[in-house]
Amino acid sequence: MKELRMILKKEFIHIFRDRITLLLVLAMPVALVLLFGFTISTDIHNARIAVLDHSKDSQSQAFIQKLSSSNYFQIVSYPNTETEIDFQFKENNIKLAIVIPHNFESQLEKEHNTTIQVIDDVSDLNIASILNNYVRSVVLDFQNEYNESITHGEPFSITTKMEYNSNMESVYMFVPGIITLIMILVTALMSSITLAREKETGTMRMLFITPVKKIYVVIGKVIPYMIISFISTIVIIVISVFVFKMPLNGSIFFLLLLCIIFMLTAASFGMLISTISTTQLDAMMITMMGLFLPTVLLSGFLFPLNSMPMVFQVLANIFPAKWFILAIKDVMIKGSGFFDVWPYLTILFGMAVIFISISLKMLDKRN
Amino acid sequence: MNSIEVDHLTKKFGDFVAVNEISFQVREGEIFGFLGANGAGKTTAIKMMSGLLQPTSGKAIVAGYDVTTQAKLIKRNIGYMSQRFSLYNDLTVFENMQLFGTIYKIPRTELKQRIMDSLAALELTKQANLLVNSIPLGWKQKLAFATAILHKPKIVFLDEPTSGVDPIVRREFWNLIYQTASTGVTILVTTHYMDEAEYCHRISIMADGNIRLLGTPEELKQQVGVSTINDVFVEYVKH
Repeated sequence: MKELRMILKKEFIHIFRDRITLLLVLAMPVALVLLFGFTISTDIHNARIAVLDHSKDSQSQAFIQKLSSSNYFQIVSYPNTETEIDFQFKENNIKLAIVIPHNFESQLEKEHNTTIQVIDDVSDLNIASILNNYVRSVVLDFQNEYNESITHGEPFSITTKMEYNSNMESVYMFVPGIITLIMILVTALMSSITLAREKETGTMRMLFITPVKKIYVVIGKVIPYMIISFISTIVIIVISVFVFKMPLNGSIFFLLLLCIIFMLTAASFGMLISTISTTQLDAMMITMMGLFLPTVLLSGFLFPLNSMPMVFQVLANIFPAKWFILAIKDVMIKGSGFFDVWPYLTILFGMAVIFISISLKMLDKRN
Repeated sequence: MNSIEVDHLTKKFGDFVAVNEISFQVREGEIFGFLGANGAGKTTAIKMMSGLLQPTSGKAIVAGYDVTTQAKLIKRNIGYMSQRFSLYNDLTVFENMQLFGTIYKIPRTELKQRIMDSLAALELTKQANLLVNSIPLGWKQKLAFATAILHKPKIVFLDEPTSGVDPIVRREFWNLIYQTASTGVTILVTTHYMDEAEYCHRISIMADGNIRLLGTPEELKQQVGVSTINDVFVEYVKH
């Protein structure tokens, strides 16, 4: 045990004497959260729109009221013809236009059915689809209220309701992703790179020629980076809850436990990489290709999994990130507890056990 | 008493025979020169003797322990210093010695005393708290040697310990080796400097995995009929 403590001490000295790397490792999570939160945010507030109201009755007025009272839109003009709308698009004055048909109110009353036309500027597909969703949610709201207000006759039949993330805040989607990336970068990448560095400089040979247990050398590498990434995780959670108002509906202790388990999975992957790579470049490439890219692409963090081809959906299952992101979203947003997410935990823990036992086998084989 | 007994030790990597049935003995307190061209199999032989690599066949008893079954005990009783300087550059002189001393389970207070004594002997006391990075290569090599013998091993393996250092440091380094050997520690040293080979009690010359020559420097020169070990080496490695 004394030897392990000494090796840990040595690792911490390495980390603290390499100020630039330490600064990078600690600042990276903060920078990432702020960057995603403020700039890459897919939320749009006060998008400039135009409304062409052919009907000009009390219901159409109520609908326009609804649109402008939502935070999503800022109605900048009320054109009278469709050519005017065209002109506004060309001037780049508006992002979206809504056309309310003639006889809006009477169609609603008599036929319980009407059509609102939405014209998008699809030169930016992303923004257009987000704005479309916003319009849809406003229309739904409007329908619901209209249906409540009539006591006779048939109500509208559309009943879609957004249960979680009802105001479609994208921060909820990327915070789990960033936590995942940080844990992988710090725990797996940093520990495997520094271990490979020792192989390059020959200090590893010195350690292995001593009677010290090899497992101590590897554990000693991994633990300090686990501690650092745990601190980073807490910082990310604090920023996302207090700056971006992300809900934390589940137990904070359970959330941290979840993070620790995922950290173990990431660390075990780092151990595996360290044992198979002999140079820092190897370690970096393997982590990037084998863990980092799949995490970005196949975890559902940036790109929704269920819109991917079946092959990739199946492939996503073998990477730990998907399971962790599912679990952390459930815990933070839905407030799920152990009994809801234990299958994910079991998968993550199982992966850690597998990675650790493979790397122990490899360690024994080497030298 | 022999501290190293090697008997038909062989290592094969697939079809390639790196070390081919070598046999020799090294006495306690002897300085044994292990010469050979690059790729002759020296490093593989040292790895087997230090318990890092399992032999394919043959036997080796090092410090009284069998390399195939008692590697752990061997590791406890040997010291090792490599051609490439391999202490931690971002640790201080003291921290490096403390790290390796602790790994060899030297009790804390005794370790501190031993480090101070060995630094004093090397006249490096003032540099104890300097980063290893900032001291000259010659001192680093002496420091690496001091670290390798901190746990009082019975045998020290020196793998080209003086490559890249100036003649004065090399002379000082050999004085250290003599001092250490005089306390009964066995030294097995590899080198490419043939003048250093003359300092050894006995030398062996390896080529293609075999030991071609073995004896005192004088014996070898007579046997080959040349006046320097350099000529002996060139003569034998050529064939």
